[in-house]
Amino acid sequence: MSQEFELTRNITIGQYLPTGSVIHRLDPRFKLASFVIMIIAIAICGTYIGNLFALLVCLLMFALARIPLHYGISGVKPAVPFIIILALMQLLFYGEIAQGGTIFFQYGFVTISSEVIRLVVVSAMRFVEVIFLSSVLTLSTSTTELTHGMERLLGPLEKVKFPVHAFALIITISIRFVPTFAMEMEKMMKAQASRGAEFGTGQWWRIIKRTKDMFPIIVPLFNVALSRAEDLILAMEARCYTPGAVRTRYAHYKAAPKDFAAIGASVLLSAVILAIPW
Amino acid sequence: MEKGLTVRRIVIAGVLGAIAILLGVTRLGFIPVPTAAGNATIMHIPAVIGGIMEGWGVGLIIGLIFGVSSFLNATVPLFKDPLVAILPRLFIGVTAYFTYVGLKRFNEYAAIGVAGFVGSMTNTILVLFMAVVRGYMPAGVAASVAVMSGLPEAIVSVIVTLAVVVAWKKLGSSGKQKSKISGGL
Repeated sequence: MSQEFELTRNITIGQYLPTGSVIHRLDPRFKLASFVIMIIAIAICGTYIGNLFALLVCLLMFALARIPLHYGISGVKPAVPFIIILALMQLLFYGEIAQGGTIFFQYGFVTISSEVIRLVVVSAMRFVEVIFLSSVLTLSTSTTELTHGMERLLGPLEKVKFPVHAFALIITISIRFVPTFAMEMEKMMKAQASRGAEFGTGQWWRIIKRTKDMFPIIVPLFNVALSRAEDLILAMEARCYTPGAVRTRYAHYKAAPKDFAAIGASVLLSAVILAIPW
Repeated sequence: MEKGLTVRRIVIAGVLGAIAILLGVTRLGFIPVPTAAGNATIMHIPAVIGGIMEGWGVGLIIGLIFGVSSFLNATVPLFKDPLVAILPRLFIGVTAYFTYVGLKRFNEYAAIGVAGFVGSMTNTILVLFMAVVRGYMPAGVAASVAVMSGLPEAIVSVIVTLAVVVAWKKLGSSGKQKSKISGGL
Protein backbone atom coordinates (compact mmCIF):
# COMPACT_ATOMS: atom_id res chain seq x y z
CA MET A 1 0.00 0.00 0.00
CA SER A 2 2.78 2.45 0.88
CA GLN A 3 4.21 1.87 -2.60
CA GLU A 4 1.09 3.56 -3.97
CA PHE A 5 2.42 6.87 -2.69
CA GLU A 6 6.07 6.52 -3.59
CA LEU A 7 5.91 8.46 -6.81
CA THR A 8 9.55 9.52 -6.78
CA ARG A 9 10.62 5.89 -7.05
CA ASN A 10 9.04 5.50 -10.50
CA ILE A 11 10.56 8.62 -11.96
CA THR A 12 13.45 7.68 -14.19
CA ILE A 13 14.02 11.12 -15.69
CA GLY A 14 17.68 11.93 -15.53
CA GLN A 15 18.57 8.25 -15.16
CA TYR A 16 22.15 8.11 -16.30
CA LEU A 17 24.51 5.14 -16.39
CA PRO A 18 28.09 6.40 -16.37
CA THR A 19 30.11 3.67 -18.09
CA GLY A 20 32.52 6.12 -19.73
CA SER A 21 32.09 4.48 -23.13
CA VAL A 22 32.82 6.13 -26.46
CA ILE A 23 29.10 7.01 -26.82
CA HIS A 24 29.11 8.66 -23.39
CA ARG A 25 32.08 10.80 -24.38
CA LEU A 26 30.54 12.12 -27.60
CA ASP A 27 29.73 15.81 -27.88
CA PRO A 28 26.04 16.06 -26.85
CA ARG A 29 25.20 18.23 -29.88
CA PHE A 30 26.45 15.62 -32.30
CA LYS A 31 25.06 12.74 -30.29
CA LEU A 32 21.57 14.25 -30.20
CA ALA A 33 21.63 15.03 -33.93
CA SER A 34 22.82 11.49 -34.75
CA PHE A 35 20.04 9.89 -32.71
CA VAL A 36 17.38 12.17 -34.23
CA ILE A 37 18.53 11.21 -37.74
CA MET A 38 18.38 7.51 -36.86
CA ILE A 39 14.93 7.78 -35.22
CA ILE A 40 13.54 9.57 -38.29
CA ALA A 41 15.00 6.88 -40.59
CA ILE A 42 13.40 4.14 -38.44
CA ALA A 43 10.04 5.96 -38.39
CA ILE A 44 10.04 6.06 -42.20
CA CYS A 45 11.48 2.59 -42.96
CA GLY A 46 8.80 0.07 -43.91
CA THR A 47 10.80 -2.99 -44.98
CA TYR A 48 11.64 -6.26 -43.20
CA ILE A 49 15.38 -6.32 -43.85
CA GLY A 50 15.67 -2.54 -43.29
CA ASN A 51 14.12 -2.93 -39.83
CA LEU A 52 16.18 -6.02 -39.07
CA PHE A 53 19.30 -4.06 -39.93
CA ALA A 54 18.11 -1.17 -37.73
CA LEU A 55 17.57 -3.63 -34.85
CA LEU A 56 21.12 -4.92 -35.26
CA VAL A 57 22.39 -1.33 -35.21
CA CYS A 58 20.47 -0.71 -31.95
CA LEU A 59 22.00 -3.81 -30.34
CA LEU A 60 25.42 -2.63 -31.48
CA MET A 61 24.71 0.73 -29.81
CA PHE A 62 24.05 -1.00 -26.47
CA ALA A 63 27.34 -2.88 -26.81
CA LEU A 64 29.23 0.28 -27.77
CA ALA A 65 27.73 2.26 -24.88
CA ARG A 66 28.45 -0.69 -22.53
CA ILE A 67 24.87 -0.50 -21.24
CA PRO A 68 23.31 -3.86 -20.26
CA LEU A 69 20.61 -4.85 -22.75
CA HIS A 70 18.08 -5.49 -19.96
CA TYR A 71 17.64 -1.69 -19.60
CA GLY A 72 16.25 -1.64 -23.14
CA ILE A 73 14.24 -4.83 -22.69
CA SER A 74 12.65 -3.49 -19.48
CA GLY A 75 11.32 -0.61 -21.61
CA VAL A 76 9.79 -3.04 -24.11
CA LYS A 77 8.24 -5.47 -21.58
CA PRO A 78 5.26 -3.35 -20.46
CA ALA A 79 4.40 -2.76 -24.12
CA VAL A 80 4.03 -6.42 -25.11
CA PRO A 81 0.23 -6.59 -24.49
CA PHE A 82 -0.25 -3.40 -26.55
CA ILE A 83 1.91 -4.78 -29.37
CA ILE A 84 -0.27 -7.92 -29.46
CA ILE A 85 -3.52 -5.89 -29.44
CA LEU A 86 -2.18 -3.60 -32.19
CA ALA A 87 -1.11 -6.61 -34.25
CA LEU A 88 -4.56 -8.22 -33.92
CA MET A 89 -6.30 -4.99 -34.88
CA GLN A 90 -4.08 -4.50 -37.90
CA LEU A 91 -4.61 -8.14 -38.95
CA LEU A 92 -8.39 -7.80 -38.68
CA PHE A 93 -9.00 -4.33 -40.08
CA TYR A 94 -6.20 -3.54 -42.45
CA GLY A 95 -6.96 -6.02 -45.23
CA GLU A 96 -8.85 -3.42 -47.24
CA ILE A 97 -6.38 -0.58 -46.66
CA ALA A 98 -3.02 -2.33 -47.09
CA GLN A 99 -3.70 -3.38 -50.65
CA GLY A 100 -1.36 -5.54 -52.70
CA GLY A 101 0.72 -8.60 -51.95
CA THR A 102 -0.42 -12.20 -51.86
CA ILE A 103 -3.73 -12.92 -50.15
CA PHE A 104 -3.44 -15.85 -47.71
CA PHE A 105 -6.87 -15.75 -46.12
CA GLN A 106 -10.14 -13.94 -46.76
CA TYR A 107 -13.40 -14.12 -44.85
CA GLY A 108 -15.92 -11.28 -44.72
CA PHE A 109 -14.07 -8.03 -44.04
CA VAL A 110 -10.99 -9.87 -42.78
CA THR A 111 -8.25 -10.13 -45.38
CA ILE A 112 -4.86 -11.41 -44.36
CA SER A 113 -2.30 -10.65 -47.04
CA SER A 114 1.48 -10.42 -47.15
CA GLU A 115 1.14 -6.60 -47.00
CA VAL A 116 -0.90 -6.75 -43.76
CA ILE A 117 1.63 -9.13 -42.19
CA ARG A 118 4.41 -6.75 -43.20
CA LEU A 119 2.57 -3.85 -41.55
CA VAL A 120 2.18 -5.85 -38.31
CA VAL A 121 5.81 -7.01 -38.16
CA VAL A 122 7.28 -3.64 -39.17
CA SER A 123 5.17 -1.69 -36.58
CA ALA A 124 6.31 -3.99 -33.76
CA MET A 125 9.98 -3.90 -34.83
CA ARG A 126 9.94 -0.13 -35.25
CA PHE A 127 8.62 0.23 -31.71
CA VAL A 128 11.34 -1.96 -30.20
CA GLU A 129 14.05 -0.11 -32.14
CA VAL A 130 12.88 3.36 -31.04
CA ILE A 131 12.74 2.21 -27.37
CA PHE A 132 16.26 0.81 -27.65
CA LEU A 133 17.63 3.96 -29.27
CA SER A 134 15.98 6.37 -26.81
CA SER A 135 17.21 4.19 -23.90
CA VAL A 136 20.80 4.36 -25.16
CA LEU A 137 20.53 8.14 -25.63
CA THR A 138 19.07 8.92 -22.20
CA LEU A 139 21.23 6.40 -20.32
CA SER A 140 24.43 7.69 -21.89
CA THR A 141 23.71 11.44 -21.61
CA SER A 142 23.02 13.46 -18.47
CA THR A 143 20.05 15.85 -18.55
CA THR A 144 22.39 18.86 -18.32
CA GLU A 145 24.29 17.63 -21.36
CA LEU A 146 21.02 17.00 -23.20
CA THR A 147 19.71 20.51 -22.60
CA HIS A 148 23.08 22.07 -23.48
CA GLY A 149 23.24 19.96 -26.61
CA MET A 150 19.73 20.95 -27.59
CA GLU A 151 20.42 24.63 -26.99
CA ARG A 152 23.52 24.55 -29.20
CA LEU A 153 21.77 22.50 -31.90
CA LEU A 154 18.94 25.02 -32.06
CA GLY A 155 21.51 27.87 -32.07
CA PRO A 156 21.10 28.69 -35.79
CA LEU A 157 17.40 29.38 -35.17
CA GLU A 158 18.46 32.50 -33.22
CA LYS A 159 18.93 34.13 -36.61
CA VAL A 160 15.18 33.87 -37.21
CA LYS A 161 14.49 35.29 -33.71
CA PHE A 162 13.68 31.90 -32.14
CA PRO A 163 14.32 32.24 -28.37
CA VAL A 164 16.77 29.36 -28.14
CA HIS A 165 18.20 30.19 -24.72
CA ALA A 166 14.75 30.75 -23.21
CA PHE A 167 13.59 27.46 -24.68
CA ALA A 168 16.53 25.57 -23.15
CA LEU A 169 15.84 27.29 -19.82
CA ILE A 170 12.20 26.16 -19.96
CA ILE A 171 13.29 22.56 -20.51
CA THR A 172 15.79 22.81 -17.63
CA ILE A 173 13.11 24.23 -15.30
CA SER A 174 10.71 21.44 -16.33
CA ILE A 175 13.19 18.66 -15.63
CA ARG A 176 14.34 20.29 -12.40
CA PHE A 177 10.79 20.58 -11.03
CA VAL A 178 9.54 17.07 -11.78
CA PRO A 179 10.98 15.49 -8.58
CA THR A 180 9.87 18.53 -6.51
CA PHE A 181 6.29 18.22 -7.71
CA ALA A 182 6.39 14.45 -7.27
CA MET A 183 7.21 15.03 -3.61
CA GLU A 184 4.43 17.62 -3.31
CA MET A 185 2.04 15.14 -4.89
CA GLU A 186 3.12 12.41 -2.46
CA LYS A 187 2.46 14.75 0.46
CA MET A 188 -0.99 15.63 -0.87
CA MET A 189 -1.88 12.00 -1.53
CA LYS A 190 -0.84 11.01 1.99
CA ALA A 191 -2.76 13.95 3.45
CA GLN A 192 -5.89 12.99 1.52
CA ALA A 193 -5.48 9.29 2.31
CA SER A 194 -5.22 10.06 6.01
CA ARG A 195 -8.63 11.72 5.69
CA GLY A 196 -10.00 8.54 4.15
CA ALA A 197 -9.66 9.29 0.43
CA GLU A 198 -8.98 6.45 -1.97
CA PHE A 199 -7.02 6.72 -5.18
CA GLY A 200 -7.74 4.58 -8.19
CA THR A 201 -9.22 1.80 -6.11
CA GLY A 202 -12.58 1.82 -7.91
CA GLN A 203 -13.12 -0.80 -10.60
CA TRP A 204 -11.66 0.20 -13.93
CA TRP A 205 -15.03 0.69 -15.61
CA ARG A 206 -16.17 3.20 -12.98
CA ILE A 207 -14.65 6.09 -14.90
CA ILE A 208 -16.52 8.87 -13.11
CA LYS A 209 -15.55 7.60 -9.63
CA ARG A 210 -11.90 7.20 -10.62
CA THR A 211 -11.85 10.63 -12.22
CA LYS A 212 -13.45 12.27 -9.19
CA ASP A 213 -10.82 10.64 -6.96
CA MET A 214 -8.16 12.57 -8.81
CA PHE A 215 -9.51 16.09 -8.42
CA PRO A 216 -8.35 16.62 -4.80
CA ILE A 217 -4.80 15.97 -6.04
CA ILE A 218 -4.71 17.52 -9.51
CA VAL A 219 -6.23 20.92 -8.73
CA PRO A 220 -4.04 21.66 -5.64
CA LEU A 221 -1.03 20.36 -7.58
CA PHE A 222 -1.53 23.06 -10.21
CA ASN A 223 -1.98 25.71 -7.53
CA VAL A 224 1.13 24.63 -5.64
CA ALA A 225 3.06 24.61 -8.92
CA LEU A 226 1.88 28.06 -9.89
CA SER A 227 2.77 29.53 -6.49
CA ARG A 228 6.23 27.99 -6.75
CA ALA A 229 6.47 29.53 -10.22
CA GLU A 230 5.61 32.89 -8.67
CA ASP A 231 8.49 32.51 -6.16
CA LEU A 232 10.89 31.58 -8.93
CA ILE A 233 9.80 34.56 -11.04
CA LEU A 234 10.45 36.89 -8.10
CA ALA A 235 13.85 35.32 -7.47
CA MET A 236 14.88 35.58 -11.13
CA GLU A 237 13.69 39.15 -11.46
CA ALA A 238 15.42 40.09 -8.20
CA ARG A 239 18.66 38.88 -9.80
CA CYS A 240 17.90 40.99 -12.89
CA TYR A 241 17.50 38.03 -15.22
CA THR A 242 16.66 39.40 -18.67
CA PRO A 243 15.43 37.05 -21.36
CA GLY A 244 17.28 37.43 -24.63
CA ALA A 245 20.31 39.18 -23.11
CA VAL A 246 23.77 38.15 -24.29
CA ARG A 247 25.42 35.89 -21.72
CA THR A 248 28.57 33.87 -21.38
CA ARG A 249 28.61 30.10 -20.89
CA TYR A 250 30.23 27.87 -18.33
CA ALA A 251 30.27 24.72 -20.48
CA HIS A 252 32.01 24.94 -23.83
CA TYR A 253 31.86 22.11 -26.33
CA LYS A 254 34.50 21.51 -28.96
CA ALA A 255 33.79 18.97 -31.67
CA ALA A 256 36.43 16.25 -32.11
CA PRO A 257 36.89 14.01 -35.17
CA LYS A 258 35.00 11.21 -33.37
CA ASP A 259 31.91 13.46 -33.21
CA PHE A 260 31.98 14.05 -36.95
CA ALA A 261 32.51 10.30 -37.41
CA ALA A 262 29.40 9.63 -35.26
CA ILE A 263 27.17 11.90 -37.32
CA GLY A 264 28.65 10.50 -40.56
CA ALA A 265 27.96 6.96 -39.34
CA SER A 266 24.35 7.79 -38.42
CA VAL A 267 23.70 9.36 -41.85
CA LEU A 268 25.27 6.35 -43.57
CA LEU A 269 23.35 3.83 -41.46
CA SER A 270 20.08 5.73 -41.98
CA ALA A 271 20.69 5.75 -45.73
CA VAL A 272 21.30 1.98 -45.67
CA ILE A 273 18.15 1.41 -43.55
CA LEU A 274 16.06 3.40 -46.05
CA ALA A 275 17.75 2.01 -49.17
CA ILE A 276 17.19 -1.69 -48.41
CA PRO A 277 14.32 -2.62 -50.75
CA TRP A 278 12.75 -5.61 -48.94
CA MET B 1 -0.23 41.56 -23.55
CA GLU B 2 3.55 41.86 -23.62
CA LYS B 3 5.24 40.31 -26.64
CA GLY B 4 7.95 37.66 -26.57
CA LEU B 5 9.08 35.39 -23.76
CA THR B 6 9.15 37.24 -20.44
CA VAL B 7 10.56 35.76 -17.24
CA ARG B 8 6.97 34.97 -16.22
CA ARG B 9 6.25 33.06 -19.41
CA ILE B 10 9.53 31.15 -19.26
CA VAL B 11 8.92 30.03 -15.67
CA ILE B 12 5.23 29.20 -16.11
CA ALA B 13 5.98 27.19 -19.27
CA GLY B 14 8.72 25.31 -17.40
CA VAL B 15 6.60 24.60 -14.35
CA LEU B 16 3.53 23.47 -16.30
CA GLY B 17 5.81 21.39 -18.53
CA ALA B 18 7.05 19.69 -15.35
CA ILE B 19 3.45 18.83 -14.43
CA ALA B 20 2.85 17.41 -17.93
CA ILE B 21 5.92 15.18 -17.52
CA LEU B 22 4.92 14.21 -13.97
CA LEU B 23 1.39 13.22 -15.00
CA GLY B 24 2.95 11.08 -17.73
CA VAL B 25 5.33 9.17 -15.46
CA THR B 26 2.79 8.53 -12.69
CA ARG B 27 -0.50 6.74 -13.20
CA LEU B 28 -2.35 9.91 -12.23
CA GLY B 29 -2.27 11.14 -15.83
CA PHE B 30 -4.35 8.24 -17.08
CA ILE B 31 -8.00 7.40 -16.58
CA PRO B 32 -8.66 3.84 -17.73
CA VAL B 33 -11.55 3.62 -20.19
CA PRO B 34 -12.82 0.53 -21.99
CA THR B 35 -11.67 1.48 -25.52
CA ALA B 36 -8.94 0.44 -27.94
CA ALA B 37 -6.85 3.40 -26.75
CA GLY B 38 -6.89 1.95 -23.23
CA ASN B 39 -6.68 5.24 -21.38
CA ALA B 40 -8.12 8.71 -21.42
CA THR B 41 -5.37 11.16 -20.59
CA ILE B 42 -5.29 14.40 -18.65
CA MET B 43 -1.66 15.12 -19.51
CA HIS B 44 -2.64 17.76 -22.05
CA ILE B 45 -4.30 19.95 -19.41
CA PRO B 46 -1.08 21.87 -18.50
CA ALA B 47 -0.78 22.89 -22.17
CA VAL B 48 -4.38 24.14 -22.14
CA ILE B 49 -3.86 26.06 -18.89
CA GLY B 50 -0.54 27.49 -20.10
CA GLY B 51 -2.15 28.63 -23.35
CA ILE B 52 -5.02 30.36 -21.55
CA MET B 53 -2.84 32.00 -18.91
CA GLU B 54 0.21 33.10 -20.87
CA GLY B 55 -0.57 32.99 -24.58
CA TRP B 56 -0.19 30.64 -27.52
CA GLY B 57 3.63 30.58 -27.41
CA VAL B 58 3.66 29.15 -23.88
CA GLY B 59 0.88 26.70 -24.84
CA LEU B 60 2.93 25.53 -27.82
CA ILE B 61 6.07 24.98 -25.73
CA ILE B 62 4.18 23.03 -23.03
CA GLY B 63 2.56 21.00 -25.82
CA LEU B 64 6.03 20.23 -27.17
CA ILE B 65 7.27 19.14 -23.73
CA PHE B 66 4.18 16.96 -23.29
CA GLY B 67 4.66 15.46 -26.77
CA VAL B 68 8.34 14.66 -26.26
CA SER B 69 7.75 13.19 -22.79
CA SER B 70 4.88 11.04 -24.08
CA PHE B 71 7.15 9.92 -26.95
CA LEU B 72 9.96 8.97 -24.55
CA ASN B 73 7.71 7.25 -21.99
CA ALA B 74 5.35 5.55 -24.43
CA THR B 75 4.46 1.92 -23.84
CA VAL B 76 1.98 1.92 -26.74
CA PRO B 77 3.56 1.57 -30.22
CA LEU B 78 1.31 4.36 -31.50
CA PHE B 79 3.11 6.94 -29.37
CA LYS B 80 6.60 5.77 -30.29
CA ASP B 81 5.97 7.48 -33.62
CA PRO B 82 7.09 11.14 -33.30
CA LEU B 83 4.54 12.19 -35.92
CA VAL B 84 1.71 10.94 -33.68
CA ALA B 85 3.22 11.72 -30.26
CA ILE B 86 4.75 15.15 -30.82
CA LEU B 87 3.31 17.01 -33.83
CA PRO B 88 -0.41 17.08 -32.85
CA ARG B 89 0.41 18.15 -29.27
CA LEU B 90 1.90 21.44 -30.44
CA PHE B 91 -1.57 22.77 -31.27
CA ILE B 92 -3.33 22.07 -27.94
CA GLY B 93 -2.36 25.31 -26.20
CA VAL B 94 -2.63 27.32 -29.41
CA THR B 95 -6.29 26.45 -30.07
CA ALA B 96 -7.12 26.84 -26.36
CA TYR B 97 -5.59 30.33 -26.34
CA PHE B 98 -7.41 31.54 -29.45
CA THR B 99 -10.72 30.12 -28.20
CA TYR B 100 -10.22 31.89 -24.87
CA VAL B 101 -9.30 35.21 -26.49
CA GLY B 102 -12.21 34.98 -28.92
CA LEU B 103 -14.82 34.29 -26.23
CA LYS B 104 -13.39 36.31 -23.32
CA ARG B 105 -15.41 39.43 -24.08
CA PHE B 106 -18.73 37.53 -23.73
CA ASN B 107 -18.10 35.69 -20.47
CA GLU B 108 -14.71 34.89 -18.99
CA TYR B 109 -15.79 31.70 -17.17
CA ALA B 110 -17.46 30.29 -20.28
CA ALA B 111 -14.39 31.25 -22.33
CA ILE B 112 -12.10 29.30 -19.98
CA GLY B 113 -14.42 26.27 -20.03
CA VAL B 114 -14.82 26.24 -23.82
CA ALA B 115 -11.06 26.72 -24.24
CA GLY B 116 -10.50 23.67 -22.01
CA PHE B 117 -12.90 21.67 -24.18
CA VAL B 118 -11.41 22.85 -27.48
CA GLY B 119 -7.82 22.24 -26.33
CA SER B 120 -8.67 18.71 -25.24
CA MET B 121 -10.56 17.92 -28.46
CA THR B 122 -7.63 19.30 -30.49
CA ASN B 123 -5.42 16.71 -28.81
CA THR B 124 -7.88 13.85 -29.41
CA ILE B 125 -8.78 14.69 -33.00
CA LEU B 126 -5.26 15.47 -34.24
CA VAL B 127 -3.65 12.45 -32.53
CA LEU B 128 -6.29 10.09 -33.93
CA PHE B 129 -6.04 11.72 -37.36
CA MET B 130 -2.28 11.15 -37.37
CA ALA B 131 -2.79 7.58 -36.09
CA VAL B 132 -5.08 6.87 -39.05
CA VAL B 133 -2.74 8.59 -41.52
CA ARG B 134 0.27 6.62 -40.19
CA GLY B 135 -1.65 3.33 -40.36
CA TYR B 136 -1.93 2.41 -36.68
CA MET B 137 -5.71 2.51 -36.57
CA PRO B 138 -8.58 2.22 -39.05
CA ALA B 139 -10.80 5.32 -39.29
CA GLY B 140 -13.80 3.53 -37.70
CA VAL B 141 -11.87 2.56 -34.57
CA ALA B 142 -10.44 6.09 -34.35
CA ALA B 143 -13.93 7.59 -34.44
CA SER B 144 -15.13 5.32 -31.63
CA VAL B 145 -12.03 6.18 -29.55
CA ALA B 146 -12.73 9.89 -30.15
CA VAL B 147 -16.19 9.51 -28.65
CA MET B 148 -15.38 6.96 -25.91
CA SER B 149 -12.24 8.53 -24.49
CA GLY B 150 -12.14 11.96 -26.19
CA LEU B 151 -15.36 13.20 -24.61
CA PRO B 152 -14.55 12.14 -21.01
CA GLU B 153 -11.10 13.69 -21.48
CA ALA B 154 -12.67 16.93 -22.67
CA ILE B 155 -15.11 17.05 -19.74
CA VAL B 156 -12.32 16.45 -17.21
CA SER B 157 -10.25 19.09 -18.99
CA VAL B 158 -13.07 21.67 -18.67
CA ILE B 159 -13.45 20.99 -14.93
CA VAL B 160 -9.73 21.09 -14.10
CA THR B 161 -9.01 24.10 -16.34
CA LEU B 162 -11.86 26.08 -14.81
CA ALA B 163 -10.87 25.13 -11.25
CA VAL B 164 -7.21 26.03 -11.74
CA VAL B 165 -7.47 29.16 -13.88
CA VAL B 166 -10.34 30.70 -11.93
CA ALA B 167 -8.68 29.98 -8.57
CA TRP B 168 -5.40 31.40 -9.84
CA LYS B 169 -6.97 34.54 -11.23
CA LYS B 170 -8.64 35.23 -7.90
CA LEU B 171 -5.39 34.59 -6.07
CA GLY B 172 -3.72 37.03 -8.40
CA SER B 173 -6.24 39.77 -7.71
CA SER B 174 -5.16 39.91 -4.05
CA GLY B 175 -1.78 41.02 -5.39
CA LYS B 176 0.14 39.57 -2.45
CA GLN B 177 2.22 36.97 -4.19
CA LYS B 178 2.70 38.36 -7.66
CA SER B 179 5.79 39.91 -9.04
CA LYS B 180 5.37 43.65 -9.58
CA ILE B 181 7.52 43.55 -12.72
CA SER B 182 5.83 40.93 -14.86
CA GLY B 183 2.64 40.06 -12.98
CA GLY B 184 -0.02 41.57 -15.15
CA LEU B 185 -2.54 38.76 -15.14
